Amino acid sequence: MTIRRRALVAGTVALPFLRIPARAAGTPGQLVFGLSSYPPNFNPWVQAGTAAGTVTLQVHRGLMSYGPDGQLRGELAEKWERDGDAGWVFTLRDASFHNGAKVTSADVKYSIEQVSAPKSTAYMRAQFQGVDRVETPDPRTVRIVMKQPTETLPLWLAAFEMPVVAAGSADTGKTPIGCGPFTITKQERGVSIDLAANPNFYKPGLPKLKTLRFVVYADETARVAALQTGDVDLIEYVPWQSMAGIEADPKLRLQNTEGPFMYLTFNGATGPFKDPKVRLAVAHAIKRDEIVKSVFYGRGAVLAGAPLVEASPFHDKTLSDGWAYDPARAKALLAEAGLGGGFNCTLLATAQYSMHKDTAEIVQQNLAAIGIQVELALPDWATRVSLGNRGQYQFAVNGTTADSNDPDGLSALIDSTLGPSAARSFDLGDGSIAKALAAGRAEFDPTKRAAIYTDLQKLVLAQTPIVSLAWRAQGYAMAAAVKGFTNMPGALTFFSGTTLEETTLGG
Amino acid sequence: MTRLPFLSVAALALLGLIALAAPLLPLPNPVTMDVAHRLAGPGAGHILGQDEFGRDELARLIWGARTSLAVALIATLIACAIGTALGLVGGLLRGIAELLAVRSMDVVLCFPPLLLAVLVVTLAGPGTVTLIAVLSVLFLPGFVRVAYAGVLTTRQLDYVEALRVLGANPLRVMLRTVLPNIAGPLLVQASLAAAAAVVLEAGLSFLGLGVVPPTPSWGLMVRAARATMAQSPLLLLWPCLVLVATIFILNTLCDGLQSWLDPHGATRSLWRRRAPALPAAAGLTTGAALLIEGLTLELDTPAGKVRPVRDVSLSVVAGETLALVGESGSGKSLTGLAVLGLLPPVVRPVGGSVWLAGDELLRLPDRAMRRKRGGALSMVFQDPASSLNPVHRIGDQIGEAIRAHAGRRKVVDLLTEVGIPDPARRARAYPHQLSGGMRQRAMIAMAIANNPRVLIADEPTTALDVTVQAQVVDLLAGLQRQHGMGLIFITHNLPLVAEIAGRVAVMYAGEIVEQGRTDALFSNPLHPYTRALLRSTVSEDGRAAPEGIPGSVPAPGTLPPGCVFAPRCTLRLDACETAHPALREVMPGRLSRCIRWQDAA
Amino acid sequence: MIWAAKRIGTSLLLVWLVITLVFLAIHFVPGDPAELLLSQGGAAPDPDQVAQLHEQLGLDRPLLEQYAGNLRGLVHGDLGQSMQDQAPVVDSIADRLPRTLELIAAAAVVALGVGIPLGTAAATRPGGWLDRIGTAVAALLLSLPVFVLGTLLVLVFAQTLHWLPAGGYISLTTNPVRHFQLLAMPALTIAAGLAAVVYRITRGAVADVRQRDYVRTARAKGVAPARIMRRHVLRNALIPVATVIGLQLGGLLGGTVLVEYVFNYPGLSGLLIDAVSARDYPMVEGIVLVISVLFVGLNLLLDLLYGVLDPRVRQA
Repeated sequence: MTIRRRALVAGTVALPFLRIPARAAGTPGQLVFGLSSYPPNFNPWVQAGTAAGTVTLQVHRGLMSYGPDGQLRGELAEKWERDGDAGWVFTLRDASFHNGAKVTSADVKYSIEQVSAPKSTAYMRAQFQGVDRVETPDPRTVRIVMKQPTETLPLWLAAFEMPVVAAGSADTGKTPIGCGPFTITKQERGVSIDLAANPNFYKPGLPKLKTLRFVVYADETARVAALQTGDVDLIEYVPWQSMAGIEADPKLRLQNTEGPFMYLTFNGATGPFKDPKVRLAVAHAIKRDEIVKSVFYGRGAVLAGAPLVEASPFHDKTLSDGWAYDPARAKALLAEAGLGGGFNCTLLATAQYSMHKDTAEIVQQNLAAIGIQVELALPDWATRVSLGNRGQYQFAVNGTTADSNDPDGLSALIDSTLGPSAARSFDLGDGSIAKALAAGRAEFDPTKRAAIYTDLQKLVLAQTPIVSLAWRAQGYAMAAAVKGFTNMPGALTFFSGTTLEETTLGG
Repeated sequence: MTRLPFLSVAALALLGLIALAAPLLPLPNPVTMDVAHRLAGPGAGHILGQDEFGRDELARLIWGARTSLAVALIATLIACAIGTALGLVGGLLRGIAELLAVRSMDVVLCFPPLLLAVLVVTLAGPGTVTLIAVLSVLFLPGFVRVAYAGVLTTRQLDYVEALRVLGANPLRVMLRTVLPNIAGPLLVQASLAAAAAVVLEAGLSFLGLGVVPPTPSWGLMVRAARATMAQSPLLLLWPCLVLVATIFILNTLCDGLQSWLDPHGATRSLWRRRAPALPAAAGLTTGAALLIEGLTLELDTPAGKVRPVRDVSLSVVAGETLALVGESGSGKSLTGLAVLGLLPPVVRPVGGSVWLAGDELLRLPDRAMRRKRGGALSMVFQDPASSLNPVHRIGDQIGEAIRAHAGRRKVVDLLTEVGIPDPARRARAYPHQLSGGMRQRAMIAMAIANNPRVLIADEPTTALDVTVQAQVVDLLAGLQRQHGMGLIFITHNLPLVAEIAGRVAVMYAGEIVEQGRTDALFSNPLHPYTRALLRSTVSEDGRAAPEGIPGSVPAPGTLPPGCVFAPRCTLRLDACETAHPALREVMPGRLSRCIRWQDAA
Repeated sequence: MIWAAKRIGTSLLLVWLVITLVFLAIHFVPGDPAELLLSQGGAAPDPDQVAQLHEQLGLDRPLLEQYAGNLRGLVHGDLGQSMQDQAPVVDSIADRLPRTLELIAAAAVVALGVGIPLGTAAATRPGGWLDRIGTAVAALLLSLPVFVLGTLLVLVFAQTLHWLPAGGYISLTTNPVRHFQLLAMPALTIAAGLAAVVYRITRGAVADVRQRDYVRTARAKGVAPARIMRRHVLRNALIPVATVIGLQLGGLLGGTVLVEYVFNYPGLSGLLIDAVSARDYPMVEGIVLVISVLFVGLNLLLDLLYGVLDPRVRQA
């Protein structure tokens, strides 16, 4: 009897210790960031997902970058200007790598050559193979001469997949040395990454945080819960259903931007979607507001034209509704194509990501209303990517972001002459889109460029290399005490890690 | 209970009916979206509200039942059919087939089920067909085991062997024997599999590996509702409730089937409770070591209360052996168990008293009774194989008896006393390592460990070989003389009695019909039953042939009026059948319950 | 001795069969790891680069050569390198396996600690209130999908009551208090179903053993009820219980994926599912190998344990 009572008393005494300590127990000067997945590797030039990108941005920086307002700015480059037809000259600022060595033009040359090497697996290899030569007249000056006039070179240099590393540090078996505001001090694979501020960072007074800790929360509900309980200070990929709750919470703040979007891709070689009229019919048959409302809980916007962000100077308002919901027109188009009685087809998406699956369900329902019977194929992501890359589908749902807010950032997505990929259609159109994109890349005059891109948007509406569906809000949520973090606009939302250099926690 | 689990069968049938009838019910279309009203609560036209696409929740629940139940049922049937076939083939064909059948199941079991599901679904693409295939494979091993085990047990049956020798087709024979045997366990396995299938489908659909939308399924509904949990907790509640309820029904069905097939029936509390409503016992002084006075036991049956032991009175003094003789069903074992308070809980004493020295045992609280058991009063049971704990050494078990009463005896000495050679080594043996006779000797050692005043031996030799029987009887007789115990020797074997018992009591159908000194009773029985018993055994000189007694012992619930033995009695008179005769002392030291006792010899 | 050798031999054969089947399965499943690595973020992979990566990762060799290479590596204890980050597979497994084992162990402790006493008590009073409530609760717990229970626990204990953190992991050496706080809910979620199973099996076994003859003998010896329960009833009833529990624990080795996902607990199951999603062949094969070896080893151990528990088996 006594033993049992003692155990009971001991149990109740232990209960208060179960309460988790209040936020004050966090380390001062440290921000805890809830990541949605663990970076598969830390190769700075490979596209390894946005989580990897966010971490990379802390450790590595390139010649150019984007500011919190989304404007292009110099990072390692103090000044940049055109040099002749196809050349650009960059003047480097006074900066050093984490190993103390100064950043020189030789390092820039090395980095570009590594990326553009024939055997390189870098994300921007194709772009930098357009470089004819890199000249290093002096340690602080770099001249990059392109094979063709390339207006978009500074944009490419601002991509987080194109940082500058210390010469020789990316050779096989070595860890690339960067010059970013933080250094990695500890990693627990799959769980967390700890970083410490770089005391010699070239921007005085930055970074404001002493340490940065990334913790992985793969489950979105767990991620939000961690923010709400104070386990983390900042999370990415806020699930849309939680946004209202976070906004209503006075202790939390939400920053949203619309950059990523959902769209359909098509098999232009065989099948019912070879005919552009059929694709156009699909474009007009979809109730995009339903997608915004149900898949994204209203956190998004209808996207019924080419996916250029509204804030972009090249966005043409008159063309933004080109694919508006018009079921009568859709049926008429089908009749013109000789498929007035409807037809059966299969829509490829994935069960692994709810937003893809849910979007597919709505598309299926909407198309049924105009007589197209859609069956869903929902394999896992790896299979879906594989099928997409091999063109083994009729039409498919996808979601992505452009490379940048510049229209050229859409190249990989709308140029269907580039061959099948999970990200784009293939074998459709007449090559005019590819030509327009190439022209825009080489045009330096802003007015002429605008005209090219207006034409481009018209071409997209007519040829439907993709059918845009909806913008989705990309959210970062944080504790109210977090200041200085900015969710960068539009497609640059995944570059927001840059602003961690000026983020503070409290005070 | 031996009843079919009607309630769960009915519930399952109802659920299945609703699911089947889904297309006929007046429900909104489960796939029609109404995004403008998504997540709406219960209201007009939508009794349970609308889901994240505005589809009707109730319709989706009912159609979801179709999917989940169909998947579970089909998967279970396939697994059952193929699994049973595999198990049967393996068991019947032996050799390579057997190896393959059993080992392939081991491979399936080597795979974590969820991983197997992931791999299969990724290979074949998600969908209902793939889902059923995965579930079928996962449940195969269970059915294979049942069928295989069934064949194994049947293989050894003698008559199957005999039929084989006679040239009958062995396969046909086995199938006809095995299938009815395993039907029960297969049913149980099927209900287990069905329940697991429903749970697994929910889990797989949650991961996106199950049914493909827009087909409704409970698993998919839970997945979707989880995302909107904060806004619409009810949406999560409905599919969970239905899931839980369905699995609950299947589980209950499984349990019900298991107990329906279980021949043991339900067990109730074995721990003794205070004997209810026994009248106060009159104090009695007596020189007897044990005195049983008018003991009556009662038990409830579906047909009503019956009394398997009625008004039994016996006594035994120190140093005396009383034999209690009767056929099976006469109530002799129950009498012995009643004395020790070890009656099965369904049987209660409702009258009489049992005196051990100055204590009345039937009304003694359990704690006090425990002090008597194994101490002043002990019992030896019929089957030493099942009466000894197979996982403890016999030395420990005997030691346990000693320690329970703070005895001083040593185990080795006790083993020697009961005639077990090499006692030190035997003490470390396990029961299965000893022969039947040795085991019984060990039991006897346990019983006499604390020098009991009274020892009740319930058919101690029945389970032993004939040669060993005599040894054990001699042992008991010797021990009794040495310790001066009162011994009650219960048996159905009359010749045995002649050797060791001083007095005999004969029981028939719950009553004592005759009692008296052994030699007198044997030479001059005073009850027709006793005479018939004597005649039915081989006589010592082997000259007279045994005669059976026509008829059979009446069940306690169907006792004839008047004398219980009358229907089988050759001396029957009308008077025997009208009045129930009392047990009277008809001669000095001789009791008989027959009115024609003079003619009985 | 010979028996043991035979069993080990069969076990090794089983494990080999399993890894071969998995090797075949994963190589024939659509989806290419190199392509996936280069398709991150919706990028369109350059076929040239894919070929490069194939070469780097050794995927361009013929299948048989890859298989032989794997086996050779295995014999030397080398499980290869993950295709995603080139880190040795053994390292990732060595990180994750103890966490999953700890989770299972914690769940087992709770399940046994609750299930065995309650099952025993229910069996001693069949039809009583504990029996009825216990059976109902057990059936309820067995019918609750694990991911639902987990989510509800997070809702109640983390978001509403703020008693426990929502999820994640911190190592024992870094912060022991938090470590156990983070272990609590995932372990409880698994323990719930496990306890229900333990309860039912124990109840059945104890009810069965209690009516055996040797229990009656023990009573006839005047042994105290507590001792009878311990040495006679439980000692025999726990044999079938141990077998069932062993099998359940083995199954948990690969099946904790849903719990790990909901609670963000970085264990082995999650690693495996991620590896399959990424078609990281060496990682998948490595984990399946470890799981099969553990599972088969556990079965072997159970057989040996049976021999310890039941002396009749030792003879056979």
